Formats: sequence, C-alpha cells, structure tokens
Amino acid sequence: MKENFFRSMTWMHTWVGLLVCWLLYLIFYAGTLSFFRDEITLWNQPALHHVQTTETRIAQQKSQIIAGFDYLQNTAADSPRWGIYLPSQREPQLNYAYEKPRPEGQRFGGWQDHFIDPQTEQTIEQPRATKGGNFFYRLHFDLHYLDVRTARWIVCFASLFMLVALISGVVIHKRIFKDMFSFRANKGSRSWLDGHNVSSVLALPFHLMITYTGLITLIFMLFPYPAMTAYEDGVRGLFNDVLPTNVRSKSSPESAPLTDIEGVLDHVYTNWPNADLTQISIRDPNKASATITVRASTGTQLRDQTPTLLFNGVDGSLIAKSAAQLSNTEVFYDSMTALHTGRLANPLLRWLYFLCGIAGCVMIASGCIMWAKRIRKRMKKQQTASFGVKLVEALNLATLMGLPLATCAFFIANRLIPINTVERADKEILAFFLTWLAVALFALFKRTKAQWRQLAWLNAVACIAVVLINALTTDGNIISYFQNGQWALFSFDLLCIVFAGLFVVQAKKIPTQIQINTQMQGSRRSAKTKLQEQS
Amino acid sequence: MHAQSVKNSQTVSITSKLSHIYQAHSYRIAVFSRFLAAILGGYTFTAVFTSLLSITLPLKKSDAVLLSVSLTILIYSCVFIWVFAVKSLIRIWITILLTTAGLALLLSVLKGWL
Repeated sequence: MKENFFRSMTWMHTWVGLLVCWLLYLIFYAGTLSFFRDEITLWNQPALHHVQTTETRIAQQKSQIIAGFDYLQNTAADSPRWGIYLPSQREPQLNYAYEKPRPEGQRFGGWQDHFIDPQTEQTIEQPRATKGGNFFYRLHFDLHYLDVRTARWIVCFASLFMLVALISGVVIHKRIFKDMFSFRANKGSRSWLDGHNVSSVLALPFHLMITYTGLITLIFMLFPYPAMTAYEDGVRGLFNDVLPTNVRSKSSPESAPLTDIEGVLDHVYTNWPNADLTQISIRDPNKASATITVRASTGTQLRDQTPTLLFNGVDGSLIAKSAAQLSNTEVFYDSMTALHTGRLANPLLRWLYFLCGIAGCVMIASGCIMWAKRIRKRMKKQQTASFGVKLVEALNLATLMGLPLATCAFFIANRLIPINTVERADKEILAFFLTWLAVALFALFKRTKAQWRQLAWLNAVACIAVVLINALTTDGNIISYFQNGQWALFSFDLLCIVFAGLFVVQAKKIPTQIQINTQMQGSRRSAKTKLQEQS
Repeated sequence: MHAQSVKNSQTVSITSKLSHIYQAHSYRIAVFSRFLAAILGGYTFTAVFTSLLSITLPLKKSDAVLLSVSLTILIYSCVFIWVFAVKSLIRIWITILLTTAGLALLLSVLKGWL
C-alpha cells in the first residue's frame, strides 16, 4: 500500500480502526456489562433481592425437581414446553416456567415464570417485567431494532476489523514493552496516545482472545462452508454428529402419560453422582413425543458444552448423553466459546474480565478521540473543519458520552416506570435509546470542550441518581446491601458511585487541559514534530 | 502573443486540474478496490481454503470441520493484512483470484462436483 510495511500497517490501523470504532465501542461496552448479566438482571428485579442461596443448594435439587413436576402438571398440563431452572450461585431463586399458549401463526408463546424462594419454599411475587442484563447481552451482538441476522453479520465484520486493527497495532508498535509503563499525563495528544497504548498493551492478550473467540461464537453463520462441504446437511449434520443430545423428534399430537420423574432422576444420579444440575426442560409434556433434557453445570471448567442427558418422556429411557470426554479438537473449539462467555469465572476472575473489558473500551475511545485531535492539529488556523472531521467529532461525543448516560436512563426507567405498565420491558429499552438519541442530536448541534464537560457532569449526576432513586423506590440501599452482605447489589451501587467520581474527574480535567493548551503552545509544537516523525 | 500565452496557461491549468481530479479519484478507487479485495477476496479465499481443509485433514470428520472452522478467522485476518501490506494492487487481485480458483478446482475434483 505505502512505501513500506510499517507505513502500510499504520495507514490500515488508522482507517480500519476509524471505520468501525463507534460500533466496536458499543459492542465492547455492552459486552463488558454482560459479564455481570445475572447481577444486572437481579438488580433490575427488586422482588428477588432478598432471595439467598441456601447452604444445602445441591442436596435440595431432587425434591425441587419433583415438586416442580407436580406444580407444572397441575398448572400447565397442555403447555408445549416446561422448564425447571434450579438455583445457582449467581441466581439464587428457583423457577418453574412453562410456555404460554402460542398465538395463531407464531412459533413461540413466551415464558410464564413462577419464582420460588428456595429457603422458605414460598412463591415470590412476580418480579417486574425487565430484560435486565440480557438487554446488554443481546445488544452486543444483535444490536436491537435490526434484523438479527443482518446485525450479526455487521458485528462479525466489525469484529474482524477489530482483530486486524489489533494485529496491525502490534506491528506498528515498535517499543511495545517500554510503552507498557509510560503514561505522560497532561501532555495533550501525547497523553491520548499513551492512554491508547497502555490500555491496549496491558490487556492485549484479552483483546485478542475476546475478539477471536467472539467471532468463533458466530462462526457457523460467518463460515458454514467447511461443514457444508463435509456433511450432507451442513451445519445441522455437524451438530448432530458432535452433540448426540441435539436430536429433535417431531412433535406428536397423540397424548400419552408422562413418565415418573423419580425414575428418571435415579438414572441421572447413577450417571452423575453429586451432580450440580442447572435445568430440566420438558418438551411436549403429556404427549407421545415427550422428551426430558437434564443439564448439569460445567462449574469452573473451561468448557462451554453443558453435560446433558436426554430421556424419553413416556417410558423414561435414556435416549442420548453428551460425550464425557471431548476430542482434542473439540476441546480446542469448545474452550474458545467458554473463554468468551466467561461463565466459568469465579467472582475474582469475573472482575478481571470486567476490568479488561473496560480497558478495551478505553482503548477504542482513546483511539477515536486521538484521530479527531490529530486532524484538528494538522489543520491551518483559518481552515474550517471538513464534514468528515465534524462527523467524527459528533460521533465521538454521541457514543462515548451518550452510552453511559443511556445506561443510567435504562436503570432509572427500571425503577420509575410503574410495575403494571403494558410492555414494560420494552419501555425501559426505549428510555435507553431515546436518551442516546438526545445526546446524539445534542452532539450534532455542538461538540466543543464545553459540551464534553456538560455531558460529563450530566453523566456524574445520572450515576448518582441511579443509586439514590434505587434507595428511594426499593426497601434496600447501598448501606443495607453492605450490612446484609448482598454483594452483587452492593457492587452495582458502588460501581455507579465510582463511575460518577470518574465523570467528575473528567469534567474537572477538561478545563485544566484548556489552560495547559494555552500555556504550552510552544512546547506542544516540538511534541507535534516528534509525533510526526513517529507516524 | 500575450493572449495566446494566457490561453495556453489556461488550458494547462484545466488539464492539470482534470488530472488532479482523476488522481484524487484514482486514489479513492484504489483504496476501494483494496478494501474489496481484503473483505470479499479474503472471505472467498478463506471459505474455499477451509472447505478444502475440512475434507483433507487427516482427522475424524467432525474434528476436521471444527478445526478448519476454528482456523477461518486466523486465515481471513492474515489475508486481510497481506492485502494491505502488498504495494501492487494488480498482484493482489491476480494472486487472490488464481489461488481461490485453483483451490476451488481442487475441491470440486475431490468432491466430484465436476
């Protein structure tokens, strides 16, 4: 492309990075929040705040399943699907769910949950309708409002660009080790470049891993061709081959009595003594085609495929079981997905995931800010900014400051929208996108340092508002969470306060930077020439 | 004499402007073509190459497919970077088209599609 490899890579890093940086920021941002998906969902459902994990969690599972079968048989004998979701460390409540009758022409009727406190065995009042952490989880690869397939293709290509930008970033980085330890604060673009380098290099293995494995999770959509070449029926053939429990029989309208669940459970516990079960799904209960799928937790193993047993729902015989031992290639493939989702992570590792994700956001954010700053610097005094530069600056402000504000709006909406509102969950999401849109319109209008400062203050206020409104509208607050040892909720509120603090620091920093710029006009010139030599 | 030189200089400036515009656009076209080669060319090459890999790797069928699928992204990103590293655009297109066609031919022969 350019005269030499180094320059070509610099060019590519800049342009490929710029092309997708805002979308990547959204993906990284929402993905980072998704590491705490269950915790966010919990925060969004105050009705479940007081449910606590029992000490005999695993020992209780058998009786919980049997009681669940009784409940579902009495309440929803005609439903096409039942699910029994057992309490886990991160989700302490027990849930007996069934699919509601399917509306004409639809393939899915939605789940009706029935939550139970495992400690008191009492029914919990139906929590408010919310997508909770699942909203961010879906957002990071389905992008909302878009057709799912289109969105995933867009996300795939953005991730590919990210991977390419990461690799070229390493190539153009001559002093990778030295820069790991150098951050020169308050030096204008030099600081931005240092910030970009530090956040990239320190968490580089994470960035590479999360991008590559992220693409792997969508790989059968992106590259179905190897499977299509090797198998007659393509990807489905591969899955049936690799996952023996994946077989799906046709639904039959004939009714047949459901097998005795205790017999099935005896079978389960002889196969897996001391198993930590996670969910039981029953397809076509009380029909001739009934099946019962039993899944166990993968625990802290580096494995994504859950151990699964598939039973015939009429005679209780075992149809298929997942392979106990994976082949080397299966381990290689499977562990990549497991690394991406981080379900294996214990709390400490989960925080590390989260911090690395934040580093990724900082890397992307500093990258796009630096781009706009450099173009501004190269411009002559009387030159007006081109449309492209203005667009980049507007998108920077709208994305970087808009997303956190929209997130706060989502949480505030969760507490303020009346509980019985129709389509409540969608209204929370609407609050998210409307806030973001408002920031974007604001950014189109003006985007100088003053706007950055105003939005930083607004974000700080919004973060504090989340904590305060939570304290006012629910029976808990950050202090009571600390006293009762509700660590997930406590950390949530604490993080809001920490981010509020960071936004205040940001708002305070911006004017000082203006002062420094005017003071150090002379010294910045020399820094600028140095930068140009480098690039 | 004087008038002619003015006219001359005018035509010169127009042609230089035209060539300038052409150059500006040819640069854009070149960049567009390069992105096309990287995204579409890279995608097609990877698709054909990994499909071939999935039936030639000396492993169990499911393992061969899973391994080739796991390698797709690595191959794709390598091709992508290569496209931006090589100076001659023509060489890039010829290399991509020839290798992809060659691999596709080999794949068709092995699968008996021809």
